[in-house]
Amino acid sequence: MTVAATRTKAEQALARNFEAVLPRLPGGRAVAEARKAAIGVFAARGLPHRRIEQWKYTDLRGALKEAALPAAGPAGEVSARQLEAALGGLASLEAHRLVFVDGAYAPALSGAAQPKGLEFATLASALARPDGSVGGEPAGSIAPGQEAVVALNTAYMTDGAVLRVPAGVALDLPVLLVFVSTVGEARLLTTRNVLTLGRSARATVIEAHVALSGAAPGQANTLTDVALDEGASLAHLQCALAGGDASHLSTWLARIGADAHYRAFQFTAASGLVRNGIHAVFAGEGGSLDLSGAFLGRGGEHIDTTLVVDHAVPRCQSRELFKGVLAERARGVFQGKVIVRPGAQKSDGKQMAQALMLSQDAEFDSKPELEIHADDVVCGHGSTAAEIDEDLLFYMRARGIPAAEARALLIESFIGEAFDRIEDPGVRGALFAVAKARLDALSQTEER
Amino acid sequence: MLEIRNLRVKLAEEDKLILDGVSLAVPKGEVHAIMGPNGSGKSTLAYVLAGREGYEVIGGEVRWNGEDVLAMEPDERAAKGVFLAFQYPMEIPGVATLTFLRTALNAVRKKRGEAELTTPQFMKLVREKAAALAIADDILKRPVNVGFSGGEKKRMEILQMAVLEPTLCVLDETDSGLDIDAVRIVSAGVNGLRSKDRAMLVITHYQRLLNYIVPDRVHVMAEGRIQTSGGKELALELERTGYAGFKSKAA
Repeated sequence: MTVAATRTKAEQALARNFEAVLPRLPGGRAVAEARKAAIGVFAARGLPHRRIEQWKYTDLRGALKEAALPAAGPAGEVSARQLEAALGGLASLEAHRLVFVDGAYAPALSGAAQPKGLEFATLASALARPDGSVGGEPAGSIAPGQEAVVALNTAYMTDGAVLRVPAGVALDLPVLLVFVSTVGEARLLTTRNVLTLGRSARATVIEAHVALSGAAPGQANTLTDVALDEGASLAHLQCALAGGDASHLSTWLARIGADAHYRAFQFTAASGLVRNGIHAVFAGEGGSLDLSGAFLGRGGEHIDTTLVVDHAVPRCQSRELFKGVLAERARGVFQGKVIVRPGAQKSDGKQMAQALMLSQDAEFDSKPELEIHADDVVCGHGSTAAEIDEDLLFYMRARGIPAAEARALLIESFIGEAFDRIEDPGVRGALFAVAKARLDALSQTEER
Repeated sequence: MLEIRNLRVKLAEEDKLILDGVSLAVPKGEVHAIMGPNGSGKSTLAYVLAGREGYEVIGGEVRWNGEDVLAMEPDERAAKGVFLAFQYPMEIPGVATLTFLRTALNAVRKKRGEAELTTPQFMKLVREKAAALAIADDILKRPVNVGFSGGEKKRMEILQMAVLEPTLCVLDETDSGLDIDAVRIVSAGVNGLRSKDRAMLVITHYQRLLNYIVPDRVHVMAEGRIQTSGGKELALELERTGYAGFKSKAA
């Protein structure tokens, strides 16, 4: 039941801007109708606020004072060198690169149009297909609480990657989707990806959300719709590094088929407000997933990771491990819900969320939720929040390691445990290099 | 030369003195033992020498080779050659032993103006020293002390000592929790590091260790100060008489 509360300035702008921008958005009549329906859903609900349980630690309505206008006109300029700089440790990773600048596909900066074994189309072109194979609503199910953010994505989405790995194909290289925002006015960037893996297909897809140095703080809403057919295996990674006073809403919806394996990892070191939502549903027995990640917060940053894993069928396994490092007044949030439906026997779910507090003013909110309706299951959760162990620090210093280096080593080893969940050593190394660079910057901040 | 003059130390948050005028001199090339009952301040002395926080020095001084040690940070002291073998070595999950050793050694070498070791040089050095202490290669790859038995942790402390080559070695109850074989191995490791350029302070409850690490001098510490000093026979005498003569009330 929604109470039609007074709309905030940002909510009114989001509804109003839609009308102006609709003619420019890709897709035929059916898509346009879906977009209109979506903005209607948004208008009825408004932005999520803290009286909604799934948003209790992240008051998006309160935080979003203004709604940025969607990008108008051509995308900004990005040189190859600027792109490498923005990608940091990911730049040297051998991968099929698909680059989107200010929300629009940039073929000049991308690799081969059809990498071997991979079917790729831009979302923009896919939406324009008369067969409607890529429509408005995402295929993946939306968890309660995600409706408004997903609706905004459906309403405003401009572009993204529609990828399909056919049955039996194992991609030779990872796919690196780069979403880069350029210098200019603050914009609303809405992108959507659709990842489909056929039976026994295997792939690694990395999403890098980066900004050029000096880029204006934007508002990003990105959604990735994942469908894994029987026996398929996907490593799905996100690196969120946008700078400035941005808000970054990321939603992943995953449908995991029988005996399929979904290995997701998110590294977040973006400023402003970040909400990473993952909703994964087991659609067939024998499926497994691993949702892991690390986040670094400083200043007044707010990083919220909200996971919902639905053991809708028996004999599936889920594992979650998130590590956060919080400095200054940063706030980290971890919400992990595991649902075991009636009859989903032999479900096995384990969850762990840990935070390292580098200041007295940092805050970590951790909320595990286990909703279990079957009786032959194994489920557990754990959460810790701690400061750097002073005794360990002394031990290391007594061996000659200077304080700053000792602290850095301890912080790296803390988040390293999450990175160990990334199976591909090349991908792990590249992503950890990105994290290490961010950690070095964070170590400059005063402790306490 | 280690010179401790009238050192008075209390816990930062309390009033009671733990070290009440400790005076001690350990020349290079010598091994001195400190024995004493629980609560005598032995471990506090070790921690203060290494630079642990939480203690307040309210009098006296500590000089190592003429330099004021108390004015230095723990890592600076390590660079000057100070090494404390902990009574309870710490576990560092996620930091491989080899990484830890290499980081420490290169940090100390850098402070001394020496070149860092290359990885092959370092690996050769560590493997040699580890073999002498019966420490297997795969243990070196594990995170520092994680899942190690008491004996393995103590042997790891001596390995660190062997790799870092300090000149002032303070061994805090190195024999606690060790069986005879481990005591032998650890003692052999410590004896292997005796040299004319090295001063050693061996802190222990029990005389037994001193059969293996034979001291040049023995000091008895009780109630925060050195009560008496003597040759190695003093340790044997203590075995017979106990510490009763040095304690005023129950410790």
